[in-house]
Amino acid sequence: MNNQDKENLRQMFEIFVNSDQAEEAAEDIRRAEQILDEYPAPEPDSRLLARIKAEVTAGLQQSKAGIHRRMVYKIAVAAAAAVVILAAVSVKLFEKGVVVPQKFTYTPAIPRTIWESKLLADDDENLASLTAEFEDIESEVLAVHSGKTNGNSNMAELEIELTEIDSDFWKG
Amino acid sequence: MAKSEDLAPIIIGCKKGDPQCFSKLIDVYASRCYGFFYRLTGNRTTSDDLLSELFVRLVEKIGSFKGGSFDSWLFKTASNIFADYLRDRQRQDKKIQAQKSILQPEQTENRHQENEPLDKLQVQLGRLDGDTRQLIMLRFYSQLSFKEIARMRSEPIGTTLSKLHRGLKKLRDLMEQQPYE
Repeated sequence: MNNQDKENLRQMFEIFVNSDQAEEAAEDIRRAEQILDEYPAPEPDSRLLARIKAEVTAGLQQSKAGIHRRMVYKIAVAAAAAVVILAAVSVKLFEKGVVVPQKFTYTPAIPRTIWESKLLADDDENLASLTAEFEDIESEVLAVHSGKTNGNSNMAELEIELTEIDSDFWKG
Repeated sequence: MAKSEDLAPIIIGCKKGDPQCFSKLIDVYASRCYGFFYRLTGNRTTSDDLLSELFVRLVEKIGSFKGGSFDSWLFKTASNIFADYLRDRQRQDKKIQAQKSILQPEQTENRHQENEPLDKLQVQLGRLDGDTRQLIMLRFYSQLSFKEIARMRSEPIGTTLSKLHRGLKKLRDLMEQQPYE
């Protein structure tokens, strides 16, 4: 049973025209299609069918060969590209003479003596000299406050010294 | 019309490139497709060529069939092949006309030079316009429903129904009234 047998022509026409017109239109189609049945078209020649089958088989073989050729071509292109890339990388490495490190060495950023020190002010030379400077300044300030020295000249020296210390400290 | 469950393994085989399955497909559809082309062209030689073209194209295009009605897909391809043939013929006709007007302007020739006799139906079909003739043949040989034909032609079902009704009615009138020439 084909799809035409399943459809109800009258019902389809009834969507667009009234019931009587739909019946008439459906009947027109049925009768006209009967005429087509009465005049069958000629059948294709058996030699034609054999020729078409041979053409189709040849076409299939060509298409398979084409697919194979395309696949081989793709693989060849990929392999050639890989060889070119490898060669380019090798030439670059050879030109630069890149030496791959054999062994890694580690050096601490902070000296071991300072890292392990229990009294940092004594073991770190910079810190020791800074501490000494502070002590000197402290004694001088005390002298100024007690009036043992001439305040003006001592204060000026003190300021100069503080400035030097400050700049030296930040220089490291 | 082949049952879709019988056709499914054949189409799967065709998609895999099996020549045996293509051979079966040709056996199932050759008669109807040949009838379709013959009624549109009225010429056996042209119908032979178009049928051959259809199945050769099928080998190339079968991969694009994504399911649904195979008959609809096949007859859509057949209609496209016929449209291509018409375009080619129009181009050739123009070329021939141009050459004739240059070389022998006084000579006119009937384009139909075939000796093969046409049956009454073929003669009366020739009196219908091309689109109506194609619609009638599509309906008759593809055995598709109106809904499928309307979808294939990308037009509303009412338009298809009306065109086909008018065309068939005119054909019936011609067959009943006109004497066989």
